[in-house]
This record gives sequence, structure tokens and C-alpha cells, in this order.
Amino acid sequence: MKSVLLLQFTRLKRAPTLMISFVVLTIVFVAVIGGFGTSTNGKETVYAYGEGKTAAWLDLLNESNVYQFEMITKQEAQEQVKTGKLHYALELQPNNYQFLVGTEDPEQVSVQQYVQNVFQKERQLQQISLTVDDPAAIRDQIEASLDAPVLTVHTEALHETAYTDSSANRYQVMIGMSLYFVIYTIFNNLTNIIMEKRNGTWNRIILSPVRKWQVYMGHLFYCFVLGFMQIGIVFLVFRYLFGYNNEIDFLPTIVTISAYLFAIVSLGMLLLGVASKPQQLQAINPIVATGMAMLGGAFWPLDAVSNGIMIALSKAMPIRYGIEALKSAMLFNQGFEAVLQPIAFLLLFGVICMGIGINLMERVKN
Amino acid sequence: MLETELLQKKFKDQLAVDGINFYMEKGESIGLLGPNGAGKSTTISMISSLIKPTTGDIRLNGKSVVKNPQLIREVLGVVPQEIALYEELSAYENLKFFGRIYKLRGKELEKKIHSVLNLVGLQERQKDLVKNYSGGMQRRINIAVALLHEPEILIMDEPTVGIDPQSRSYILDMVRQLNEERGMTVLYTSHYMEEVEKLCDRIYIMDHGKIIASGTKEELKSVLSNEETILVDMNPISKELMQTLEEDDEIIQVNEIDKGMKLIVPKGSNKLTSIFHQTEAFGVQVTNVNVQVPTLEDVFLHLTGRTLRD
Ligand SMILES: Nc1ncnc2c1ncn2[C@@H]1O[C@H](COP(=O)(O)OP(=O)(O)OP(=O)(O)O)[C@@H](O)[C@H]1O
Ligand SMILES: [Mg+2]
Repeated sequence: MKSVLLLQFTRLKRAPTLMISFVVLTIVFVAVIGGFGTSTNGKETVYAYGEGKTAAWLDLLNESNVYQFEMITKQEAQEQVKTGKLHYALELQPNNYQFLVGTEDPEQVSVQQYVQNVFQKERQLQQISLTVDDPAAIRDQIEASLDAPVLTVHTEALHETAYTDSSANRYQVMIGMSLYFVIYTIFNNLTNIIMEKRNGTWNRIILSPVRKWQVYMGHLFYCFVLGFMQIGIVFLVFRYLFGYNNEIDFLPTIVTISAYLFAIVSLGMLLLGVASKPQQLQAINPIVATGMAMLGGAFWPLDAVSNGIMIALSKAMPIRYGIEALKSAMLFNQGFEAVLQPIAFLLLFGVICMGIGINLMERVKN
Repeated sequence: MLETELLQKKFKDQLAVDGINFYMEKGESIGLLGPNGAGKSTTISMISSLIKPTTGDIRLNGKSVVKNPQLIREVLGVVPQEIALYEELSAYENLKFFGRIYKLRGKELEKKIHSVLNLVGLQERQKDLVKNYSGGMQRRINIAVALLHEPEILIMDEPTVGIDPQSRSYILDMVRQLNEERGMTVLYTSHYMEEVEKLCDRIYIMDHGKIIASGTKEELKSVLSNEETILVDMNPISKELMQTLEEDDEIIQVNEIDKGMKLIVPKGSNKLTSIFHQTEAFGVQVTNVNVQVPTLEDVFLHLTGRTLRD
């Protein structure tokens, strides 16, 4: 198995262009669609202006770990919005706020939601404070009980909904694109098996003391490692060069990627079993990869989909579970429990495809 | 050492190999001769355990290979008809990989690579990519790979197809050397009669999936020992003339060849005079006449009514 694996790497060294171009493609797509990290601390900058006692609001707003609010002058704000340099700006008033909007921007909607929440909460606190003797104490009390609630209602709507959060959006794009392009790399390299069967090197290997399962394993493992390298490179590039620097759950991330790659490698084997000619595969591979990515939510979040059939179909797509689990591990830090179910699906999917695929392939011969 | 018993292979409804019996003794060199589509490659695939026979058996030292393919794989080196190499790698890298899967490592592997490269005469070009090799050089590496693990039995499927005469005679000499000096048992497949004639102790002739004749060269030729061949170059080539000659009871066979016709007649029948009479009657000009003792090519023609390469 090791010999077969090493051989594939030697061959890759001779013709690395395809693999490299998929990495580059992924990076370009993510960068264009998801955007580069816009501020060094990973937060989205929102420009605000206003007169009077607004500093307190600014501090409150800046408690966000998604947005960074910065004051500019009213003139600047108006000028920039007018010229289109800014799509919108926030006007702070002592007791209220307002948005100055130049261009429609989905980002603005989520900023507005956030600002509204902050104002609402603060006003409620103020109302309560008026009715008691020791306003500071009650404030602490409320904050404390909010930090340690009796009952937690767990909602993920803010993250899961399309474009509610720019960081979520960027991760969605990065994860979706990486998982999409890696399918090509894997499918392309699995085609090597068919090529070897055609040009006779496969028979040569079969006649040697190496067992057939070892030959398959060599190829499969190679595709797996290659896929891992590709996703790894993309994630690292975005983390260290483009400021996608969320805290991530490391182990769940690794395990999810592994399970996903296993599922895709197995799917590739199934396709090899179904189509025995390289030309057929060249036609089928992109259809399967792109179709699956569309249905599985690699190009847009599934929340943007309302069609019932599409949603039902997405549930059969391994990429959906890969994205789901990776978002949970890289974005929401929900720990291992959150990724277990998707991983279980991916493994099951992989085992089934692999079983059918190898059976089909070996039957074709006899 | 190796024998087949009523070996048969059916592809859907085509009978590619139709119940052949053959045997090979240790140290022999055997030729398997037949035109395109005769079933040579299919036979070889079955012997080397790459495909299972539909019926029949193959035995190595009395043990069935069909039931236990590992037996034959251990002693076998196969040179496939098509070049089976990694084109984008160098000859050295190819040899290294195929050596590794035969569990060769380190110094021993290097030594074997060195020795087979020497044998096929490509020592200097070992670092070049296979795709940059000439057809003849690719063929030689194709053979080298099969020799790495020093097999007891070497099976070669048309190893000289489509290459220059120089590479071809190099390969033939090499095979003879392997057989005579190292005692390697060789099964050599070809549709070049002269190769098999030069190289092999015994010959099997195959056509339409069947073995139609077998034996040493001399035995095969004795089939035609009472006949002789007359080659007549003529201008123009007249079908009517050949038809008329065919009706002559004393002429066994008439075939059209490149520049004229080939006649098989009983030895000493002295047909030349009557042939000249006929050519004159048909207004055909005879440009050359040649009377030959039979070749294996003629044996094949005699047995099948067609030439090896049509
Ligand atoms: N895998 C296959 N499926 C169907 N038919 C096949 C297959 N392999 C060979 N045949 C058929 O079996 C017959 C014998 O083929 P084979 O390749 O054994 O001939 P051959 O003697 O090696 O010819 P050549 O000199 O052209 O190599 C041919 O008619 C061929 O079309
Ligand atoms: Mg053949």
C-alpha cells in the first residue's frame, strides 16, 4: 500500500498543476465572494457619528465581538455615504439612533438588528432602575443573572440566517467552497484507477505480491491525504493571511474534515463503479460535484432556500453535513456533541458508497 | 511444468479461446503464433491469472492455478502487449516502483534495476521520462519491468510490435540469452513467423481460438514436406488466371500475394511449363519466378488458407 501511495505522490510531483490550481481557485472564489478580513481584530467596522452624550452608547455597542463602532464627524459620514465609499452610517443621538443609508446593504440590516437590541436592553434597564432605590445594585443583579441564567433558550438564528452576520457569511463561503473544490481534486485523482486499468499498469500490480485491497487503499488514502492538504492549505491561508481568525474547536474540525473526505472518496468510488470509461467520468464528475454543492448549500446557505423538495434533497448530500459540522466547530464552537450527528451521517454514507462502488467495479471485470 | 487443459474463454457470445491444450517444460522456449484476434492475448491472460477461464484448467507442477492464482504469480513475469508504464515518470522511477511491489528494497533493488537496465541497454537513459522515449525504448523498458524479480517463467505478448529492426533484433537476442544462459522458460507470442522460428524450441499455431498445429519447426514443416511453393510475380495480376489455375487438380493451393501469386504444388510435379502456358494465354507478363522449400508461413497458409498478417 505504501508503495502505491508513494507512487501517487511521485506522480503528483511531476504534474502538480491541477492540484495547485484547485487550491488557487478556492482561495480566489472565497476571497471574491466572502471578502477579505476587513479589520485586524476580525470585527466588522461600522462608522457612527452624533452629538451630545453618545459616548456611553458607543461603549455599549462596542461590547460586540462582531462589530467595531468608530466615530467620525457628521460631515465625513454624509460625504462618504454620498460618494458611495460607505454604504451606510449610524447616527447616535442621546436617546435614540438612526441610520443614514446610501446603498442597500444586507450587512446594514444585521447591524441595525444589533443596535436595536442594545438600545432596547439598555432602555429596559433604565426603566427598571427608576423604580428601585439602588439602581447600581439592581443592574449588577440583572447582569449576573443574565450571565448565569436559570433557563437557556438556545437559538442559532442569528448565525444560521443568511447574511445576518458577516463573519458567519465569510465562514460559510470559505467552508462551502473548500468542500466543493476538494470534490474535484478527489474525483480527478480517483480517475487514476481507471487510467491504470486501461493502460495495463493495474494488471502489472495485480500480478505482483501486492494484494488488490492494498492497491485500492493506496489510491484511496492518497486522495484522502490530498484532500486534507487542500482544505488545510485553504483554511490556513485564510486564517493567517486574510484574518479569518475565529477561535475554532480543533479536534471536531479535524474529525469532521476526515469524515467528509471519506464520504467523498467513497462517492468517487461509487461513480467509478457506475461509469467505467474516463470520458464518462469526465462528464459525470462535474455534474455530481456541482449538483451536490448546490443542493447541499455550498454556494448559498440553506436558509436561503425555501423549496421543500430542495431542502429534502439537501438532506442526502454529504456536503451539507460537512458544512453544518464545520460551521459548528469553526464558528459557533459548539463542541463535539454538535458534530457527532453529521459525522455519523458522513461515515454511514461513505461505507454504503464504498461497498456498492467496489462491488460494481469488481463485477464489471467478470 | 505448466499445462492447460481444454482451456476456454467466452466473452458474451464470442468464443475467444476454444478448448486449447498445451504444455511447457522447464527451460523450454515456446512460440505461440497466430493472426490478429486468434486468442493469443486471451490465452496469456488466463495463464497469468488475470482473467478466469470459462471452463478448463491451468496447472503449474500439477496444481490448479485457477483455484490458487498466487501460485503462478510468484514465478511469472509478464510483458503485456500494450506498453504498461507510467509515462510521466522516468524509466528508473518505473523500475523502482515495480521493484518495490515485488518487495525489493534498498541495495538489492538498486542492483536489480542496474542489471535489467544493462540487459535492455538503457543504462544511460534511465533518468529520462518514459514518454520521451522512442517506441523501441519503451518496449525495452516494458520488458525490463517484467524481469526485475527474476521470474522462472517469462511470458511475452508480441513484444516487438511496431518497432525499428534494430530494437527488434536486440530484443530477440536478449530473449534468447535469457532462455539459453539463464534457463528461463519463455512463452513468446507473435505474429511474426520468422521471430518464432529463430527463437523457439516448439511452436503452437493458433487460429480462431483453436490450436491448429503444434510441434518443433521441423515437425511443422514436415506437414508440407511433399510440397513446394512457387512464387510468381506478374503484371497485371489476373484473378481469372488464378481461378483457372485453381481448377487444376495438380495445384494444391493458389493465393494472391503482394506482386503476384503463390502456388503450392506437389514436389517434383514440374508445373512451371503449364503455368507459363496459362500466363501467356491470359496475356499476363511474368516478371519473376521463385521456387521455394516451404516456410512456416506456408504451413500457416496451408492450414488456414490465409496469411498471418492480413
Ligand atoms: N475483454 C474482452 N471482451 C470481449 N471480447 C474480447 C475481449 N478480449 C478479447 N476479446 C475478443 O477475443 C478475440 C481474441 O482476442 P485476443 O486479444 O486474445 O487476440 P490476439 O490473438 O491477442 O490478437 P492480436 O494479435 O491482435 O493481439 C478477439 O476477437 C477479441 O475481439
Ligand atoms: Mg494480443
